[in-house]
Amino acid sequence: MSEDAARKLVEKYRWQFSGMLAWGVQRVTGLLLLLYLLLHVRTVHKLSEGPAAFDQAMAFFRHPVFKLLEIALLGTVILHALNGVRITLIDLGVGHQRHRQLFWIFALGAGALIFLAGAIPIFLASVLKVGT
Amino acid sequence: MTWPVVEWYLQRITGALLVILLAAHFWVEHFMSEPLRRGELTYEVIRERIANPYWQAIDIAFLLVALYHGLSGLRNILLDYGRLGRRGARAATAALALVGMVWAYWGVEAFRNLR
Amino acid sequence: MGIRTFRVARSPHNGISRSDRFEVLLEDRMTVLDALFRIQREQDATMSFRCACRVGMCGTCAMYIDRVPRLACQTRVITLRSRVVSVEPLPNLPVLKDLVVSLDPFFEEWKKVRPALHPLDGEAGELARIPADSAYARHAPRKRDCITCGACFSACGIRASNRNYLGPAAINKAFLRLLDPRDGAKRERLRILNDEHQGIWRCHTQFNCTVACPKGIDLTDSIVRLKRAMLRPERLLRG
Repeated sequence: MSEDAARKLVEKYRWQFSGMLAWGVQRVTGLLLLLYLLLHVRTVHKLSEGPAAFDQAMAFFRHPVFKLLEIALLGTVILHALNGVRITLIDLGVGHQRHRQLFWIFALGAGALIFLAGAIPIFLASVLKVGT
Repeated sequence: MTWPVVEWYLQRITGALLVILLAAHFWVEHFMSEPLRRGELTYEVIRERIANPYWQAIDIAFLLVALYHGLSGLRNILLDYGRLGRRGARAATAALALVGMVWAYWGVEAFRNLR
Repeated sequence: MGIRTFRVARSPHNGISRSDRFEVLLEDRMTVLDALFRIQREQDATMSFRCACRVGMCGTCAMYIDRVPRLACQTRVITLRSRVVSVEPLPNLPVLKDLVVSLDPFFEEWKKVRPALHPLDGEAGELARIPADSAYARHAPRKRDCITCGACFSACGIRASNRNYLGPAAINKAFLRLLDPRDGAKRERLRILNDEHQGIWRCHTQFNCTVACPKGIDLTDSIVRLKRAMLRPERLLRG
């Protein structure tokens, strides 16, 4: 890609204001979650192959790498969900004057708190194996 | 009433439903009983739950809502790029609907031996 | 007052673009437009830019200043925090030369929504009466100040990658006409607004337009209201 075209591409997606960042976040997390959903259904489908096949698959996913991915999934879900609530409020006409605060304080701020509340226990129990 | 406004409202309604259903799903799979809290998510544990037709129905409904929300979201992304044209948009919608139906089938079929 | 550096985008008519740096001695209450005039008069007479009224009424001097679409005549240099002020032509529009863009794409979308009033009553004998509690009276004062400067169109992140999208200004204008009890072309406007490729459904509430509008019009609000109204479009048609 030529330098000019590359610069135009960056300029296109460079977020100007937090509203555009929120849009980008929703899009990226949405795509990741859709991908996860499709893979997840395929994994759950292992149930139809009987207990041995399923439990083997579950053992595979007990590896710490997958636990870390699970924590990342939690973060992705929380971000998408809270920003989604923000978008729904805006669509109902609520919070137009505060759409920035809704993003930084509600979606990101409260989101980070909920994330830590969930992620830290999972991390301690499954990755660092605290308490086992 | 035309389709675009219905899709717009549905995306928000399914989104709100998913917030609840996902939280519930997380609780059901990881906190509902002692073995689950220990991380023992096994075939047996799941079979016991899915034997109850109400749980099966909830799980399948949850899957359909999630598939709709995700695939409809992807459709929006494709439309946003404005490079599809009218025929391309119809083809993309059909492709996404096909993906949805295939995955819905796999989701339902996953429970076939548990019943 | 000091000296400020301006980096101005140049694209002479032979098509090759570059940016030139100019140092300008600041004066009291200087605007970016003032600075551009100084540069043109004292340093480079070949630099091109558009302006007309100088008082924020006409919309002609809209440009991309420090990566935000603004009116040059309304942007006080002292309010810009950058070390080097960047002045570029409005994005999403074809550049003619330097800071001059063609507003054709903007007005093509504008025309698609039939922005003029198409009177219901061909032979209007009396003055129209618009009740103070009508939707039009409630919304029009804060939505009708559009000076077609193109700032919102240029700021829009959706328009940046989708040449089909109508853009905020056209949609806002259509919104006003849809509320207007005197108008008779509502059906045609609704059709294009409801189109999945060009219309309101491509908006995803990025708010770029609302932030950029020099007239303080809440464009996102107009579009969101239209979305909700599409549930019962007969209400809009009735007026």
